[in-house]
Amino acid sequence: MYYVVTFALIITMALALTRAILGPSVYDRVLAVNMLGTKTVLLLSVIAFLMGRPDFLDLALAYALINFIGVFAVLEFFRNRAAKQPEEKP
Amino acid sequence: MTVIFGFFLLTLLLITAVAIVQSQNLFVSVMLSGMFSLLLAVNFFLLDAADVALTEAAVGAGISTVLLLSALAITAKHEKAPSSSRVGALIIVIIATLVLIYATLGNPQFADPNAPVHQHVAPWYLDKTAEAIDIPNVVTAVLGSFRGYDTLGEVFVVFTAGIGVLFLLGTQPGPFAQSNPFKLTDPKGLRHYLIPRVVGRMLIPFILLFGLYVQFHGEYGPGGGFQAGALIAAAIILFALLEGENSALKVIPRSVLIGLIAGGALLYGVVGLFGIFLGSNFLDYSVLSSNPVKGQQMGLLIIEAGVGITVTGVLLSIFHAFAARGKF
Repeated sequence: MYYVVTFALIITMALALTRAILGPSVYDRVLAVNMLGTKTVLLLSVIAFLMGRPDFLDLALAYALINFIGVFAVLEFFRNRAAKQPEEKP
Repeated sequence: MTVIFGFFLLTLLLITAVAIVQSQNLFVSVMLSGMFSLLLAVNFFLLDAADVALTEAAVGAGISTVLLLSALAITAKHEKAPSSSRVGALIIVIIATLVLIYATLGNPQFADPNAPVHQHVAPWYLDKTAEAIDIPNVVTAVLGSFRGYDTLGEVFVVFTAGIGVLFLLGTQPGPFAQSNPFKLTDPKGLRHYLIPRVVGRMLIPFILLFGLYVQFHGEYGPGGGFQAGALIAAAIILFALLEGENSALKVIPRSVLIGLIAGGALLYGVVGLFGIFLGSNFLDYSVLSSNPVKGQQMGLLIIEAGVGITVTGVLLSIFHAFAARGKF
């Protein structure tokens, strides 16, 4: 059962990766990275049970807690860039 | 079965690496390097290296993306097209790859119990940990006590790297800081965005709590000073993103950060010196208490705290140095 779930998750990760590489827009990529992060949390949890070491769930917890910081940084990056764009043009 | 998963994930890793190199748009490269770090952590985890995976998770999931974006904010958007042909470099890389692949043929098989690495000192560590230090996580015992010198060296590498980055970027806001149009964290932060603010503020205490748990639970589960330092730094960087950089600097000013960088490394070194003063060797924690096992555990706790303090200080200083940096 765990094997099936693991395979499904890895295939989903491959699909997210495809979207991140192909793009085309920035938002596709941000969403793809975020989704890959979520899938990583799930995959780590499943593998922890697969290997019979549920105490390793700590790792999945660490990801779940700080995964979105990168997304916030991206938001701020684009907000600042968009806010300053009109000044840039002569 | 694990080998098949590992094979899949390594293939994805390879594809990501090639895409990072191929992409001309630097923002895409930053996003893909975030993915690279996620995939790498899963690979470490599959190989049963939970402590390494946790380090990769703590640094890669949040902080490295933030730092790369900060760097991107003060550079150009696109990579410059290469000025000359790179055929020579390609040939050298291909030859080096072939040599390395040839060298791996001489390695022992994956997970071979008779491999030299499993026969040299590892059995001794596994035997002695329960007797000398009495903690379940052998990795922490090896890292902090048996190979305490190496970890001291690592802490000083982090310390030196932090000092080096601060020399390059400066610790104070530059003359162009105010006019920098692409600064990552503007003074207001994401304060006007209600949902990120509410959710983010709710999560900060939990991240800090989890950081402290990882810090002080390193003897029993995966974790330790390096991971905890990165997690605590992530919590404060999140605060800086939400409330603006200046609010974060009010909480932990730059002078305190410099103190943290030096203080953590010093704390580690002083524990080592205590060993000498109490009549034993440098970094021998057994003499710290009347009971040698208790002394070892105490020494481990203190040096892990030193590691955590230095890592937090360095990561936050680098973040603030980037945020204060003007665009030329």
